[in-house]
Amino acid sequence: MADRMHASPMRRVWTIAFREFRHTVITKGFIFGAVVMPVVMFAAIAALGLLIGMQMTPVVGTLVVIDESGTVAAFAAEELTPEQVAKDMHESLRRNSALKNWPGSDAAQQATASLPSIDVKVESVQDANRVDELRAKVQDGSLLGLAIVSPELLNANPMDAEGNELTFTLIVPTRSAPRLTGMLEKSIAKAIVKARVQRVGTDYTSLKALLALPETSVRRMSTEGAEADENAIAKTLLPMGFMMLLWIATFASGQYLLTTTIEEKASKVMEVLLSAVSPMELLCGKIIGYAMVSAVMLGMYGALGIAGLSAAAMGDLVSPGMLILMLVYFVMAYAFVSIMMASVGSAVNDLREAQSLVTPAMLILTLPIMLWLPISEQPNGWIATISSFIPPAIPFVMVLRVTASNEQIDTWQVILSLVWGFAWVGVFVWGGAKIFRVGVLMQGKPPSPRELIKWLRMA
Amino acid sequence: MLRLQFPRLLQRQPLSNYITLHSMTTSAVNLRAVWKRFGKTEAVRGIDLDVPDGSLTGFIGPNGAGKSTTIRMIMSIIHPDEGSVQVLGADAISAKDRIGYLPEERGLYRRMRVTEFLKFMATLKGLPGAGLDARVNAWLERVQLTDASKKRCQELSKGQQQKIQFIASVIHDPELIILDEPFSGLDPVNARLINRLIRDLHDAGRTIIFSTHVMHQAEQLCDRIVLINHGEKILDASMTEIHARFDPRTVQVEPSSHNPADASRLGALPGVERAQWNPERHAAELTIARDVDPQDVMRAAIALMPVRTVELRKTTLDDVFVELVGEAMPSSEESGNG
Repeated sequence: MADRMHASPMRRVWTIAFREFRHTVITKGFIFGAVVMPVVMFAAIAALGLLIGMQMTPVVGTLVVIDESGTVAAFAAEELTPEQVAKDMHESLRRNSALKNWPGSDAAQQATASLPSIDVKVESVQDANRVDELRAKVQDGSLLGLAIVSPELLNANPMDAEGNELTFTLIVPTRSAPRLTGMLEKSIAKAIVKARVQRVGTDYTSLKALLALPETSVRRMSTEGAEADENAIAKTLLPMGFMMLLWIATFASGQYLLTTTIEEKASKVMEVLLSAVSPMELLCGKIIGYAMVSAVMLGMYGALGIAGLSAAAMGDLVSPGMLILMLVYFVMAYAFVSIMMASVGSAVNDLREAQSLVTPAMLILTLPIMLWLPISEQPNGWIATISSFIPPAIPFVMVLRVTASNEQIDTWQVILSLVWGFAWVGVFVWGGAKIFRVGVLMQGKPPSPRELIKWLRMA
Repeated sequence: MLRLQFPRLLQRQPLSNYITLHSMTTSAVNLRAVWKRFGKTEAVRGIDLDVPDGSLTGFIGPNGAGKSTTIRMIMSIIHPDEGSVQVLGADAISAKDRIGYLPEERGLYRRMRVTEFLKFMATLKGLPGAGLDARVNAWLERVQLTDASKKRCQELSKGQQQKIQFIASVIHDPELIILDEPFSGLDPVNARLINRLIRDLHDAGRTIIFSTHVMHQAEQLCDRIVLINHGEKILDASMTEIHARFDPRTVQVEPSSHNPADASRLGALPGVERAQWNPERHAAELTIARDVDPQDVMRAAIALMPVRTVELRKTTLDDVFVELVGEAMPSSEESGNG
């Protein structure tokens, strides 16, 4: 007889777990799909700005403004200096609501650095009869553009007889880039406003300062009296990011678990395996194996996300406590998803059949995605509180809540969600294991819900 | 319709019962009043069975007779609804490492490499990592598949895949080997190779249970036969006992004329119940009544007409089946290359 050591149940479980892990992670498909593709995507996004900058051609040429008053062209020339264009863009980016409170908003400064070089000469023409001649010059590319400003547009109330707002015309060559056209359009519009203000004898700079809307500094006051900065980004995008991270890590592994279980049934390996291990050992081995796959994905994407936040000087938005809770909820989420996928995989013959069995649970699991905004905006509201206790969505909703709020979620709610959630994990494991034991040896049409209940009773 | 196979917890008996039962016998497998139902279908109906240690026992019977279900219960893949199953003196689950099993429906991890798959199965069966490579290579050499060691399972031919599965079932040197239809789909060369390996394992003292629906394979290999039909055991005896118990009842007469009409003349001889012309052998097959001496019929045939050969046919398992069940084995004509 062979020098046989007793194969303990744990040894068998780990043998299966390691095989599942190895044959999922060390494959071209996984390395390409889960590692190379995201890295390429991040690199592509980073390279995009660079590519756009490289694509930009210098803006050099002449813009003609037909204006009987002869005042608009001078103001337009002021607006089209490289310094003024950069200043306008910087201001626009800074005032953008999404970026307003972005820590280290030098991002705006960096964005303007990618502007093309600008050398635009602005000529004023007061003779409106030269329109056709100048149009021809635009057509042959001798001019960057031609702006036609009617005298009425410089009135204090620039309306036509019907009460419609008057417009100016900007003629540009067909090949003119939309970004350049937009720049010319904006500069001439501002020049017209400056000419109007000058006509009524007011100083434009003073008027602009008077009309500027003051910026807001929102401070959140908790019931305990603590005060914290409002952060729109943290309040909206971060919870979604965390929840999606949890979703991707658990469902990617869950999908692997589902397909490999179906494959093992279809290729008849299942009976070979069951001659060596019990169904429970097989189930545990598969779940542990794919838990390691899931952990690799969570670690990889999570580290990437935290590195990104740190690079954007937002590392302080993610506290160690938040990360610990995230890990605990990850365990819960993975347990729900994996046992569900393994038991469904054992009961069906192909992915199409699996779809109909997984759909009801998936509807519940999409709840956090559908309720993302109400939960993020009011993490202690009744919608968030109630959905925190609906299995199997519990971990996903709780991750939204704990990362959304500028104020703490009640500790009792966190503890209760953990106790309640893991109790439900127990129920899922109990039912899933029973379905798995029966399902792995089943052939033929997939079970109906009534048959599944029968399996739960009999196994 | 679902082919239902509902596992149910093995109805455990007190440990003292097992010890008592095992101490009374040297059986490798011991089944007592085992029943298995799938819905309204009774797949196994109260089977009692003892497979002696060191025997090469054939489970024979038509397709759907209950052979594979019985084997799956022995392997504790499914559990009986009633009765007890004892394997190698222990609970079937705890004896898994000491059993080798080649299931009826073959299965391999398609993308796994051959060596890796065999090492995986050996590890699951409790073999330590040290020396595993040498063991795998030795077996691959034995089945003439050394070239396939680095290949993925999906790259192998069907016959090669079956040989890999055979290795997977015996690589841990089990005490009990259960082979469910081991020759199905094999070409004659590979069938002969597997046949020889089974004999070698038997000679080395392993207990082997071998299931087939092809009678002549069982006749060639087995020293003991268990015949199952409609979920019931209808025969359980050694080949020697079978040959002693079932007298030959068929006399084959080849007339010199090779004329089929001679069959009816021979059928009219005293003691002949039925005469049938076998066109392939150009001979008449005479079924002899139970109380008649075949030697008398053979003498009468020679006296009746000029004959080329007269032969008392040896009892086959097909004959035994007909004798016991009263009808021919439904699938016994299928070739099995055994």
